[in-house]
Amino acid sequence: MSTIVEMKTLNKFYGSHHVLKNIDLSVARGEVVVVIGASGSGKSTLIRCVNGLEMYQNGSLLVDGYPMPVEEDRLLGGESELAAIRKGVGMVFQQFNLFPHKTVVENITIAPMRVHRKSKAEAEATALRLLDRVGLKAHAHKYPGQLSGGQQQRVAIARSLAMEPHLMLFDEPTSALDPEMIGEVLDVMRELAADGMTMMIVTHEMGFAREVADRIVYIDQGAILEIGKPDAFFDNPQNERARAFLARVLKH
Amino acid sequence: MIARSLKWSRHNLFAKPFDVLLSLTVIPGVLWLIWQIAGWALTVAQWDIIPQSLRVLMIGIFPVDQAWRTWVAAMIIAALLGAALGCVFAFRGRHAGGLLLVVAVALVLTGTKGLANILCVAALVALFGLSWALISRVPAARRGLVPASFVGLIAIFAVMAPPGAGLWGGLLLSILLTLVTAVVTLPIGILLAFGRRSRFSSVRWICTAYIEVMRSVPLIMVVYWIWILMPVLTPQLNLADVVRGMIGFTLFYSAYVAEYVRSGLQAVPRGQTEAARSLGMSEFDINRSIVLPQALRVVVPPLVGNVLDIFNTAPLVFIIGLTDFLRAGQMILANPQYGDRTYEVYSFLFLTYFLVGSLITFVARKLEKHLARGSR
Repeated sequence: MSTIVEMKTLNKFYGSHHVLKNIDLSVARGEVVVVIGASGSGKSTLIRCVNGLEMYQNGSLLVDGYPMPVEEDRLLGGESELAAIRKGVGMVFQQFNLFPHKTVVENITIAPMRVHRKSKAEAEATALRLLDRVGLKAHAHKYPGQLSGGQQQRVAIARSLAMEPHLMLFDEPTSALDPEMIGEVLDVMRELAADGMTMMIVTHEMGFAREVADRIVYIDQGAILEIGKPDAFFDNPQNERARAFLARVLKH
Repeated sequence: MIARSLKWSRHNLFAKPFDVLLSLTVIPGVLWLIWQIAGWALTVAQWDIIPQSLRVLMIGIFPVDQAWRTWVAAMIIAALLGAALGCVFAFRGRHAGGLLLVVAVALVLTGTKGLANILCVAALVALFGLSWALISRVPAARRGLVPASFVGLIAIFAVMAPPGAGLWGGLLLSILLTLVTAVVTLPIGILLAFGRRSRFSSVRWICTAYIEVMRSVPLIMVVYWIWILMPVLTPQLNLADVVRGMIGFTLFYSAYVAEYVRSGLQAVPRGQTEAARSLGMSEFDINRSIVLPQALRVVVPPLVGNVLDIFNTAPLVFIIGLTDFLRAGQMILANPQYGDRTYEVYSFLFLTYFLVGSLITFVARKLEKHLARGSR
């Protein structure tokens, strides 16, 4: 298996605040990596670096065969790789971030039409197929505001899939949802994983993490403290802080 | 009915001792005022001056034999306004009835002015209604609205220019000035607003400086400066006063539009841009298709309010020698023969300004409701 993401001694600062510390992590194609850690540990920042929504200051990051430029280069205009990377990397956000002024189907077709120059008919056919896949074909012509949170998040997943990504990033996809809607989103993600999609997921759903992950990454205060198979990690964490974290979150 | 109005007045006029006192002083006062004004308007006032000088009030000193040009311009304006209205209000049968009523009123008012004028007024109203109906019934036609309004403005200039732009005047000048300023400031304001948020600090600085300078000086000064400077900067162009006035207004109000648009841009959540970026969309596409439509939706009501501002400050062009609506009224009064009709003329000016202004605020309020419904 070839690697799709490769981080080497990656560092990120907000001013003098050291947010990510010497991150070394590689993700293989077809792999599902779940990143867990306490709030503010840097896990969201970590996956937001992968598609360049956050800039990093030093180290190296290779995504989908392209080197992600460091902050200095990006500010000087070296962003050509960024566009290529983003075409191949999809992302799902905690707040869904659907475009409220566009219908569900327009939300899904706009990027394929603008970025891949697909015809409207072709893009709509793909959109309807994807909506069928996430169980929302009947809602194709509604506006996001008319849908529930769980439905909106499934549309957001379909929107990302429409770009035929090689890698999907999930940034706490169920954290803004009412409890009864979490299941429907996780189901879609399970199916994606089963279909062999490469995924990096930040989540607080430990049961789900254990079930779908190929590897768990535990991050605390901006540093990766432990990487392991889910069973080994959850049953017998090696790192002391990981043990304390699991004791806290698995208690309820 | 009587019981209900009694109850209403008890609740609203005579609920507490202070209310009673207030009602007993204010209501008779207002009634007395209305009585006085109505008495003057119906018995003393000599309204014949209004129809006699209606042409000057409407088009200033534009040559009589060229008046058809102003009718064409008015028809283009009517079509554009109808189309703009159609974007917000669905056209219904009862609206057609209302328009017929307008024609009927116009018939009565202009009944003595000849068949040609009546036909022209009817055509104006018909064009307004037709483009209103077309735009509200055929949503696809909305796409052509922005280019159409630019073509319309150019057409107005083309048809009005031959007798000389120096002859433009009256209400038509006020409306043209407002229309040109409103339409042209929008794209400029949008560009300035984006420029003020640009990642290139040179662009950011230039746009910020422009906006802040324009916002900290009076409109009259900008108009006056442009009027003086244009002939010096471009002596070969020999721009008419009207055009220089429009340039001054446009430069000034662009800064205000930019600030309104910027407040709209700031209201669009960061997540929208991030989602679009993560889909690989270019910054241009993101701004045009994701950020700008959401931003404009927020600021349409203040932008319509801005149009009202432009219309109400239009009389200031008298400072560069133009004859707008207000100035046309004063011109009539300058004629010694009409020296005793001051109140009649100013009442007419007041009513017309009030009608146009309240129409614009009415549209703005409806627009606000319409947009609030759409965003849910």
